[in-house]
Amino acid sequence: MTSAPPPRVSRRRPGPLRGRSVPATATRVTIAVLSSVAVLAACAGPPGTGTGAPGASYALSAGTPKPKGDIDSFTWAVYAEPPTLDYTVAFDYPQNTILSNVCESLMRWTPGLTLEPGLAEKATNPDPKTWVYDLRSGVRFHDGRTMTADDVVFSLGRQTDPNNAAAWAQNFQNVASVRKTGPLQVTVKLKKPDSQFPQYMATAAGVVASKAGVTAAGKDYGTSGGLACTGPFELGTWQKGQSLELDRFDGYWGKRAKAGKVVFRFLTDPSARTNALLSGEADGGYLIPTESYARLKGSGAGTLYFGEGLSTVNVNITNIKGPLGDVRVRQALSLALDRTGFVKAGLGGAGTVTNSLTTRAAWAGASEETRKAAFAGLPPTERDIEKARALVEQAGATGKTLTVATSSIGQDVSLLATAVQAAGSRIGLNINLKSVAPNAFTALFTDPEARERIDMFPLTYYDSITDPLDLLTNFRTGAYLNFAGYSDKRYDELVDRATATYDRDSRLRIETELQKRAAEQLPWIPVAEWPTALFLNKRITGAPTTIAYMYYPWAADVGAAP
Amino acid sequence: MSTVLTRRPGLAKLRVRSGRSPLHLVCLGLVASVVLAALLAPWIAPHDPNAVDLGAALAGPSAEHPFGVDAAGRDTLSRLLLGARTSLLGPLGVVAFSTLAGVAIGTAAAWRGGWLDSLLSRATELVFAFPGMLLAVLVISVYGEGLLAPVVALGLAYLPYVSRLTRSLVLAERARPYVSAYRVQGHSALQICLRHILPNIAPVVLAQSTINFGYALMDLAGLSFLGLGVPPLTPDWGRMVFDGQTAVQHGYPLSAILPCLFVVLTVVAFNVVGERWADRVARRDR
Repeated sequence: MTSAPPPRVSRRRPGPLRGRSVPATATRVTIAVLSSVAVLAACAGPPGTGTGAPGASYALSAGTPKPKGDIDSFTWAVYAEPPTLDYTVAFDYPQNTILSNVCESLMRWTPGLTLEPGLAEKATNPDPKTWVYDLRSGVRFHDGRTMTADDVVFSLGRQTDPNNAAAWAQNFQNVASVRKTGPLQVTVKLKKPDSQFPQYMATAAGVVASKAGVTAAGKDYGTSGGLACTGPFELGTWQKGQSLELDRFDGYWGKRAKAGKVVFRFLTDPSARTNALLSGEADGGYLIPTESYARLKGSGAGTLYFGEGLSTVNVNITNIKGPLGDVRVRQALSLALDRTGFVKAGLGGAGTVTNSLTTRAAWAGASEETRKAAFAGLPPTERDIEKARALVEQAGATGKTLTVATSSIGQDVSLLATAVQAAGSRIGLNINLKSVAPNAFTALFTDPEARERIDMFPLTYYDSITDPLDLLTNFRTGAYLNFAGYSDKRYDELVDRATATYDRDSRLRIETELQKRAAEQLPWIPVAEWPTALFLNKRITGAPTTIAYMYYPWAADVGAAP
Repeated sequence: MSTVLTRRPGLAKLRVRSGRSPLHLVCLGLVASVVLAALLAPWIAPHDPNAVDLGAALAGPSAEHPFGVDAAGRDTLSRLLLGARTSLLGPLGVVAFSTLAGVAIGTAAAWRGGWLDSLLSRATELVFAFPGMLLAVLVISVYGEGLLAPVVALGLAYLPYVSRLTRSLVLAERARPYVSAYRVQGHSALQICLRHILPNIAPVVLAQSTINFGYALMDLAGLSFLGLGVPPLTPDWGRMVFDGQTAVQHGYPLSAILPCLFVVLTVVAFNVVGERWADRVARRDR
């Protein structure tokens, strides 16, 4: 029979007699048990005291120590490769982290999160519907040309060109015209007063690139060749899928960059990123995986800093046609969420629970009175399961099924989804989790089909300007991130009024109204304030700690550590 | 068909073939307790496997949680017990499908011979050429998450092992005098195959299927580890290792190590039991 295995001979060696080996066996068993217990203890966290995951303390740093001098090059870890570096579609972390060093805007967002002149040395507002930008003279592009008003008109024009599908188009909705009014002067005429427009001129919305350079690159602009911008670094070698290099631009108009070269390495796997930082393969990085905070802190390889992030972690409600259409169900979910637990486990302890969609720092320019008004009267962050369950019952939603998207993109996403599911199951809702692949997660923002059969998903939102309206405007009827189609006439009116108000405190007073309405209506459920995290190893220092790195040429400040 | 039985030759070293091998007994005990745990899981699990306590995430073993809790604060012991259900149900489906279909195809090919044999043999060889895991990943990407898609895909991938074994066994049986005797008496082919040949080859096929069970368990756990297959909330050993990756980063990998250990021990146990069964069948006086 062909199937029968060949005859086999026992290979067992004769052992010691059973009776004699008892003491030795007992010792071995004891050692085995003891070592198992030791291994178990070494592998596990501290016993459940309710204090949660380790590393639960953090303090914000205003900045990092000044470098002692120049450095040849340094390597930076980023979590994803940008599909393109065209400034008109730069709306996510990886693009802007790189682009901010290559392309500059009319205004500049400083590490202290204030506005200062950028490529425009002066911005004036002769009447509420006019902004005049006087440009710096002698600013050179990476392609050798000199910046003129024509380049500014062309660059801003690209943002409103429907063929470009620019991510920043909605910030130009009140712009009537952008005209050259002098060799180095550009005048922006607005359809109605817009307090946000001048602020956005410090983001990628206000980037100026060489008209000739962009036109020459054509469709390849952003993906191959240079970016024809003015920043302290110019685009070097881009090895797709691996790394991207920036080389110091010697013709830079401002302070010369301290590093000759910056190498960005694309490390999508969180543990690979952490290991690269620990081994020195990467010298630093923003957006550190929260589960690695403790390892990086304790490693001695460098320093982990936290800075003002103007970021809140929220649950984005994407469907209000189902049970979530009833505000009581949204309120119930908010009441049942374990925010404290989420901050401890999901954000590695570095975060603050909140019931406000906007961060406290976003209200920086407000008077004490306005700031108090913004945060007074918000619902408490403590859980109240009984009340939440009663609300669900009142809404007749008990037993209804909801779906929340989750992804292994990071603990802030996966554990928030788990927390929402746990909250729902405790108040009588049936919540399913739907896994989305990490690279498909961005599609939730751009593709309505990807949001089908999903009722909510975890969303971290960062302000691009130091103004709470940046977030609050998202609940205006028809806004880009208003996926659920939330619509409230009074809310829209308030947004319009705030937008039209230039005086900061008066505007922020109107925004307190918006803040209150958003807290009552919960178009998104706020969970926590999340600071930026920055790791720098012992070789380098100087990078800003705040979210300003998205639009500020931070890499130019990085030099050799003392 | 020694190629089938020694598919992963490394495991051969674990075989102990003497009459009363303690390894075999231990493994048999382990298989029995895992099956029992899976059956009784809802009654013996100390906690709801999906009860989240984020405040106590990654807490170590205590009286309340003997194996500690995972990164979401869920009880590891309860998840392991409930996880045994999905972790065993999946391979059971793979083995049931591959055994039933494999035996049917193998028997038909061997009994009829000729063009049918050529067709079925070439078709199964074609499946052989395609890696089972890749096939499963492909099927999952088309049909989405859930246990059914990977089970069917792996069932297809395991089918050739059973059908080739069956074919060779039936070929040998067909040549035996008792089969000729039945034919002379006018018994139909189906009757002879079902009533006489099948019972004779069953022990060998079942021994092979027991070994396949271990491999299928490992493959399905691997798919779950990749985040494919079972949905996020389902307790499953492979999924637990996947969820435990962040725990490893935290420096407290217990919630990832334990399911790994359970997968390894169960696979080894099924292999040892299956191979010993195969050995006993092979030594049987035929």
